[in-house]
Amino acid sequence: MALKTEEMVLNMGPQHPSTHGVLRLELVIEGEIIKNVTPHIGYLHRCFEKHCEVMTYPQIIPYTDRMDYLASMCNEFGYVVAVERLMGIEVPERVEYIRVIMAELQRIASHLVAIGTYGADIGAFTPFLFCFRDREKILNLFEITCGARLLYNYIWIGGVMHDLHPDFIRLTKEFIKEFRPNLKELNDLLTFNQIFIDRTANVGILPAETAINYGITGPNLRASGVNWDLRINDPYSIYDRFDFKIPVGKGENGTVGDCWNRYYMRILEMEESLKIVEQAINQIPDGDVSSAIPKRVKPPAGQIYSRVENPRGELGYFIVSDGSVNPTRIKVRAPSFVNMVVFGELCKGHMVADVVAILGSIDIVLGEIDR
Amino acid sequence: MEQKSVKRRKKDLSFLERIYIPEILKGLSLTFKNMIRPKFTIEYPEERFIPSAAYRGRPVLIEENNGDERCVACGLCSRVCPALAIEVQAAETEREQERYPEKFEINMLRCIFCGFCEEVCPEEAIVMSKDYDLTFSNREEAIYGKDKLLVPVNQLQDRIDFLRKYK
Ligand code: SF4
Ligand code: SF4
Repeated sequence: MALKTEEMVLNMGPQHPSTHGVLRLELVIEGEIIKNVTPHIGYLHRCFEKHCEVMTYPQIIPYTDRMDYLASMCNEFGYVVAVERLMGIEVPERVEYIRVIMAELQRIASHLVAIGTYGADIGAFTPFLFCFRDREKILNLFEITCGARLLYNYIWIGGVMHDLHPDFIRLTKEFIKEFRPNLKELNDLLTFNQIFIDRTANVGILPAETAINYGITGPNLRASGVNWDLRINDPYSIYDRFDFKIPVGKGENGTVGDCWNRYYMRILEMEESLKIVEQAINQIPDGDVSSAIPKRVKPPAGQIYSRVENPRGELGYFIVSDGSVNPTRIKVRAPSFVNMVVFGELCKGHMVADVVAILGSIDIVLGEIDR
Repeated sequence: MEQKSVKRRKKDLSFLERIYIPEILKGLSLTFKNMIRPKFTIEYPEERFIPSAAYRGRPVLIEENNGDERCVACGLCSRVCPALAIEVQAAETEREQERYPEKFEINMLRCIFCGFCEEVCPEEAIVMSKDYDLTFSNREEAIYGKDKLLVPVNQLQDRIDFLRKYK
């Protein structure tokens, strides 16, 4: 019954507003239906891993910022944790708390971008502006603390660059108070909007088994109903001290693991991150933040793989050291890169317009894919 | 596979839900509510954004009140710079600090505003200023020499105070 048409190749990107960066998708389509998708990446390749080999360990920190530029704090956190484990450095309590607060605020900021741009991708522009307004408040908090709004270079090996601004705790509390109602507003406007649900529910379903086989991590994996979060399952820093839940997808409006689920995970995670920040700013002890910063970062010969939970999934650093001031090799397991792999699978059989909805729900950052 | 594109709904929608008008009205009511809220944005070129003392804008060299530069051309900043943006050439001088930079250049196309140079400088001679709107029309212009880098010390006082307090 179906009308047989000829296959054709359609190039989407690299300059396409919905590809979130410079990504080219080669779509093989038959009429409106996707037969195959080949992502072409590498337009933003900056030789991060090779470049690291000629730099000293602290000098790499500003470059880790530039991988996932929406979650710079978390990238630094992951790198610093890896080097500290390699060198066996214990950092002061206060530093641990500051790092957790920063990483969780960054997670909220990153999810706000993911949600806002996702709305914009599929035609809801208002939430985009509201999300960016709230993200701006977080960036202001970062700015008074470390002086930069996007690429911080704040978390250093053995400590942080400098202590919190005296107003930071007060302003963060204020932000949390303001943000909760805004989150509810966002839910009313977008999350439970029937138009939005119709557009995203039952689209791009990722079953749990496929997700595990492809190595998907982060909110995308949890949306498929798998309870896996490194903050709980492989705790680093002081995450074991906080009381928070890991949201998993339940398929409220469609099937478990559809686009709406993936989107909704991020909303729920922001709520959990707020809880962590609240607990952390109430418990934060006084103390020195730079006492453990080593004069010379010279890890012993050896290697380490260390991973943290980034807003987009498991960010791993594999560092090989030969005992000198430069690393011999640094390999990054970038969550966006791995999550991108399943994209072709998700798109098959869908319409061309759904490609945008699926791509946005995976929430990739090209800076991290290409490195 | 082909079946995937046919959407299944969990439940059938009522007539009101199907025409989407309540959803649109809900969205619009929020829009109107926001029209009377205080404005969050600033009108940039007319209204300037004034950063706090913690802000890391373009790195500048400190010029003492008598017109001398504070830098002793030790070259530490150029060594620590991850972007290899700084070039220093030292020369002798009669002044008590004995050395001064004959040539000091920062390539603003390379600089990544990390603040390592400021952190490492033993003389507190290079600090991050509040300048954030840097424009050039060609690559040569983007290499800032001493003429553009030297800034009188009193303009940078709050950054210096900030550094003394937090470093
Ligand atoms: S580290 Fe300071 S004193 Fe040394 S060359 Fe750089 S600016 Fe001059
Ligand atoms: S701020 Fe960083 S990149 Fe820029 S000149 Fe200083 S050390 Fe180099």
